[in-house]
Amino acid sequence: MTQQIALAICSFVLALLGTALLSALSLVVARSGSGSKTFRFETEARALTLLKEWLSPKQRASYERFRYFDVIGSQTGTRYRIHHGTQTNIEELSETGHHVCKWCFVPDGDLVAGDVMLAQKIALETNERGALSVAHRSFVSSGPRRF
Amino acid sequence: MATQIVMDRTGDTRHTFDIHDRAEVEKAERRFRDLTGAGFTAAVRSGPGEQRVIRSFDPTAEETLFYPRLVGG
Repeated sequence: MTQQIALAICSFVLALLGTALLSALSLVVARSGSGSKTFRFETEARALTLLKEWLSPKQRASYERFRYFDVIGSQTGTRYRIHHGTQTNIEELSETGHHVCKWCFVPDGDLVAGDVMLAQKIALETNERGALSVAHRSFVSSGPRRF
Repeated sequence: MATQIVMDRTGDTRHTFDIHDRAEVEKAERRFRDLTGAGFTAAVRSGPGEQRVIRSFDPTAEETLFYPRLVGG
């Protein structure tokens, strides 16, 4: 009888410890996820601040209103629209402002949107041909755009 | 003070140096050579919304931005 009581108490204590351990573990995981999100948010905010510092007043106004800005290619005078994003976010426009195609080139490494857009702007405005020589071109119809 | 801004996964890393301090300028020049040698492009602002790419270290540039080599996305 005494043994049964001891066994029951041991089981109860073990279950209690297990529950406490699981709770602590889930708390650590949740905090780590939240920290990662905060880090990403701060990184994106810092990159967007840098981007805005390097945009012309007209480009900045356009970006703040529409989440895109236009740049003029340094060698051909072609107009490109850089949309907020990190992939296939460059649209080539015709002289009449119509969609021609999309271009995709990015700085190497896992950079956030603000940094990617700034590198794309500088590249197109200073070395258009060099930038496009490494880019992928896409003629897929615009449709609903998702940058 | 001048600043070298290097794009990276944290957004960017900034290195400031005193343009009147020879040792700091030499360190900044080494950083410039290391980064451009590793494929980074260096750019300085030349006006509002305007910039130029530089191929050699400019100690008088108030702000130099480095971005990694471009690749097709």
